[in-house]
Amino acid sequence: MSASPVVRRRPGWLAGQGSSARLARHSLTLVALAVILVPFADLAILTRDPWGELGRMARGLAWPDWGAVSSPLEALGLTVAVALWGTLGGLTLGFPLALLFARSRLVRAGCAFVRAIHELFWALLFLQVFGLSAATALMALAIPYAGIFAKVYAEILEQIPAAPRDALPHGAGRLSRFVYAELPLAWARLAAYTRYRFECGLRASVLLGFVGLPTLGFQLETAFREGRYHEAGALLWLFYLLIATLPWWGQRRLMPLLAVGGALLLGPWPAVNGGLLWRFVSEDIWPRALLAGDWQGLAEWLARIPELGPAIGNTLLLGLLGSVGALLVALLLWPLACRHFGNPVTRLAGRGVLIFLRSTPELMLAFFFLLLLGPSLLPAWLALALHNGALIAFLVARHADAITPGMPGINASGRLAYELLPRLYPGMLALLYYRAEVILRETAILGMLGVATLGYYIDENFEYLLFDVAFFLLLVTAALNIAVDALSRRLRPRETAIVDDPCQG
Amino acid sequence: MKGESRRPLVALTAENIGHGDQVVLSGLTLALYPGENIALLGPSGAGKSTLLATLRQRLGAQAAWCPQQHGLVPQLAVYHNVYMGRLAEHSALANLWNLVRPLPAPWRQVSELCASLGLADLLRRPVSQLSGGQRQRVAIARALYQQRPLFLGDEPVASVDPYQALRLLALIAARHSGAVVALHQRELALSHFDRVWGLRDGRLVIDAPVHDLDLTDLDALYPDADAAAPRGPW
Repeated sequence: MSASPVVRRRPGWLAGQGSSARLARHSLTLVALAVILVPFADLAILTRDPWGELGRMARGLAWPDWGAVSSPLEALGLTVAVALWGTLGGLTLGFPLALLFARSRLVRAGCAFVRAIHELFWALLFLQVFGLSAATALMALAIPYAGIFAKVYAEILEQIPAAPRDALPHGAGRLSRFVYAELPLAWARLAAYTRYRFECGLRASVLLGFVGLPTLGFQLETAFREGRYHEAGALLWLFYLLIATLPWWGQRRLMPLLAVGGALLLGPWPAVNGGLLWRFVSEDIWPRALLAGDWQGLAEWLARIPELGPAIGNTLLLGLLGSVGALLVALLLWPLACRHFGNPVTRLAGRGVLIFLRSTPELMLAFFFLLLLGPSLLPAWLALALHNGALIAFLVARHADAITPGMPGINASGRLAYELLPRLYPGMLALLYYRAEVILRETAILGMLGVATLGYYIDENFEYLLFDVAFFLLLVTAALNIAVDALSRRLRPRETAIVDDPCQG
Repeated sequence: MKGESRRPLVALTAENIGHGDQVVLSGLTLALYPGENIALLGPSGAGKSTLLATLRQRLGAQAAWCPQQHGLVPQLAVYHNVYMGRLAEHSALANLWNLVRPLPAPWRQVSELCASLGLADLLRRPVSQLSGGQRQRVAIARALYQQRPLFLGDEPVASVDPYQALRLLALIAARHSGAVVALHQRELALSHFDRVWGLRDGRLVIDAPVHDLDLTDLDALYPDADAAAPRGPW
């Protein structure tokens, strides 16, 4: 006050209590944390000629060899059938759970647990019991989706207006109240979410090929691994075509037809041996020492699990790096697809890049980078950052399109920094925290490609038939996911509504 | 016809009413006698809805209820919204089936009722496609369909034109032996009701038969009328 009565002291760097300064500090802390921890990550490039390999892949994608793909229609049909019936199964299990969700802590905990384990891990688990069969594929989708549906449906039902319910005469039964004054109000959002989940189911169904189930992903993985890039290119195009044409073939009227047709395609069905199944559930997946009540033996068993600490460390590190990378990618990419910047050509290109990156499953992206760069954390990091960054950028761009700037004549950088970013950034950061749990889940499955996260050891132990260790690591993974979900819920900016819900849960 | 000889349907004596810990109306004393048509007046936020909710709770199955903002389900057809007035009188199975295909008896009754409200052609249309005035009439139809002796309405004629308001109030009066209706139109209160309850600042400041009241008495309820703005409210 003594220096000048009129001019207040100039604020320091990013000082102040305003929400933008606070969020900027918040984000920079995250980035700084990632920078400090990067030296601990193994980011080596291990292939000798990555650019040559990239060229060959690009040529494969540019000149796909359609003739080399054997029975593409069957693989496509099975992919759709698994996604559809898996989603339906999840819906059937999840809907009743959604009605109990708010009331039962047990239901909430159970749902959090099944959600926390990725579809591919469920597949690995059921593979041991049901083999390479339709049962494995369907349950791998239906079980985690039941948990997701329960949570999301419960949230949707919670948000419907209460006025119609209050207007009902006293004494109307619970069921009548539900079907007249609750379900119709929530129907549109429930249907939209179910549709979205089906789209996720399609991607997951393709991925099931990576553990050997005969969906599109099986041929894709084989073709890529064996370097037949022209065939892989054809399969990849087939996948994009399937996703891009979803609005046409995924209409409500066609669903019953698809369901019946799909049911005929599903197979083979396993011959379940009840005794073996029981032995698997009651003995194989538990450490012998635990079943015998031998605590010292259990401690020794625990000590013998190799690399548990580093695996957890790698998983968390990759999750953090992936999230921060996704934030940076989203910040860079969203203006490309937004109506406030560039010209129609750049916007079309930008939108194309975002759709391409967001509809490619990260496992596929990671697989691609893995072939390019060799097995380290680097390909996994790139895949997570690009896929999730593009997904966030796409939603943010759509949100930005709805904003009308208050000062129309302002130049592009001013528009970005003063008009749009302050309005969009809180939602963007909230979305990132929402994604953090999904990113961590994906981190674990990237292990199946040889990146030394928990997933790598789960895959390895299943391969060696060490079911007790594999199952224990699965539980660790689930606990980690639940913990990170709780943490990100606490950290995420609260003053804003989420931009839109992405592949949440 | 003097009420003193009869037992009141509801009587409040120096009661504080509100939501949870928050008192909206304090020291409220009033009585509702059978056969009385009462207009409930007062500025927005004076506690009209709170008082009506209390009456609804005390009267239970004797009173039909027409809430503010209608409380309709926009996705359901007019028929189903009206049917909801008697949801409690059918089994859950019948209610479910009625969504698949309207039950014959309720369909007939609702059709007749809706014809008297000018909704005959809209029976199968979702409420989301109706105008504000049409929704208002659906909400009234649902209350009438309950066929209760009393009618409790929270501004049931707020979004219809003045002539429709007259017709609707007459219909409500014809089908019930008594009513408590929250209103904003002071003239209607004096012309169509027996008694006025006037709320201001969380207190009951008017409780009198309409023949003892005129428009200036009612003006005293509204703080904006005190200011006597030269060009009226904008």
